[in-house]
Amino acid sequence: MTSIPELMRALQFGDSMLPVGAFSFSNGLESAVQEHVVHDLATLRQFVRTAAEQAATGDGIALLEAHRGAQAKDLNRVIAADQAVYCRKLNEEMRTMTIRMGRKLGEMALQVLPDPPLVSDWLAAIKQNESAGTYPVAQALVFSALGLTEEDTFAVQQYGVASMMLGAALRLMKISYLDTQSILFEINQSAQAAYQRVAKAQLDDMSTFSPVLDILAATHVKSRIRMFMN
Amino acid sequence: MTPQHLLPELAPYLDEPKQLPTGSFGKVAELRLGFQRRGERTILADLYRRAPLIVHKAIYWDEEMPTMPCVFIISNAGAILQGDRNTISIKVEEGSQAHITTQSATKIHEMDANYAAQDQTIVLQKDAYLEYLPDPMIPHKHTRFLSRTDIIIDPSATLLYSEILMAGRKYHGDGEVFQYDLFSSLIRAKRPDESPLFTEKFVVRPHELPVQQVGVMGNYDVFANVVLLTPKQHADRIFEQVPAVFNEEEGWAAGASRLPHDAGLIYKVVATETATAKAKVRDFWAVVRPEIVGAAIPRQFAWR
Repeated sequence: MTSIPELMRALQFGDSMLPVGAFSFSNGLESAVQEHVVHDLATLRQFVRTAAEQAATGDGIALLEAHRGAQAKDLNRVIAADQAVYCRKLNEEMRTMTIRMGRKLGEMALQVLPDPPLVSDWLAAIKQNESAGTYPVAQALVFSALGLTEEDTFAVQQYGVASMMLGAALRLMKISYLDTQSILFEINQSAQAAYQRVAKAQLDDMSTFSPVLDILAATHVKSRIRMFMN
Repeated sequence: MTPQHLLPELAPYLDEPKQLPTGSFGKVAELRLGFQRRGERTILADLYRRAPLIVHKAIYWDEEMPTMPCVFIISNAGAILQGDRNTISIKVEEGSQAHITTQSATKIHEMDANYAAQDQTIVLQKDAYLEYLPDPMIPHKHTRFLSRTDIIIDPSATLLYSEILMAGRKYHGDGEVFQYDLFSSLIRAKRPDESPLFTEKFVVRPHELPVQQVGVMGNYDVFANVVLLTPKQHADRIFEQVPAVFNEEEGWAAGASRLPHDAGLIYKVVATETATAKAKVRDFWAVVRPEIVGAAIPRQFAWR
């Protein structure tokens, strides 16, 4: 059973209002709405599920690896996970998103937490271009520093992907708060199975398959009217 | 590279076929192609082949680039079968140019045991130029296919590489669409000094996670993935010329993204029909070649 301080830390650092800039990204949803790929509750639900599944088999594996590296106080393992995420972000705005949020979370942890292990070393490695500074790795370092488990960290990652996109959905399409909450609840239900699928995987096993999402990310870079940064 | 038998996605498929076992004659094809510059021309200086993968000789059939050897990869097996292990290694030496394609679509035959695998290594030295544009792959029902491509490329060289993956034999019987068991594809590129450029790995298991989902394949059946590794100034100019489009009426969508580490571009196409996807890849090629080598692409073959 999670203790009260642990639960409250997970709530604070897993909050969708955490000031890491998630509100300025839509993770492809803005283009999906513009191109009518997402146009109602059913298509929104599928799209968010797709993104959460991709986040599990892609970034999720690096997040778990970085958490294990942080637990072992092994900065090189953390950096390897960071580079693995960056090399697999094949769209420039997707790279911008992960790096901006990653660095902000790292810098915030340095301000808010009393001496979080590895975080300042990691931020120094980013400055020296030795580490990329991606968001899942920042999450792993911060949650490890907070004394939270890799399962908690994975849960927060899944929640973060869905809540970011659903927050964007409220601004992009005609949809009610109740509907987005029901989708978020569904994602919560499937996160356990997603964790089981990737818990034993290694960095080389990181994989994704979402051609339409990838093309949407490409259309967003070229689009003239944009509210979000991806 | 990770030994195949240790890959988690292949774990359910390590049983031996009742036919020819893995490793037997005709099941381990190998191709080694080495291109070298000789005066004005490039020649196919090194050729090693083991059936069922065959290359006869380079032909200079491209009238737009008459000094560039063109090579057809042929298979005398007719299809990729369970237990097949193919290896292809391509080296394009300093200042040389080559075009490689296949004789026809690659059929991956229905499987009930084991899997088939293809490992490729592509090396491009200084100022080398390679177009490697094979025909589409057609994974039949219950196929398990592993494809791994390692690329080592000099910062001055250009590689245009495409993969077109069909959903299956769409018009066979009641339609064989996304009925394969596994399609695992890895493309990884680095510089000669080992610094990494990018990695892309797909693991598609349609029976476990449906692919006809919003954001995955949606209503599309064909997926083309085109990698263009080239110096940044070329990539920037090509990026400007390639629109990102969703065309619902004609049943396709396509767009290019900039790869990390200024490696080049990745151009992705989804389409309802194969001909559309092939046409989009050709359109992209038609932008790339004039930018890099200043030549047009050849006319379409009448029979392809």
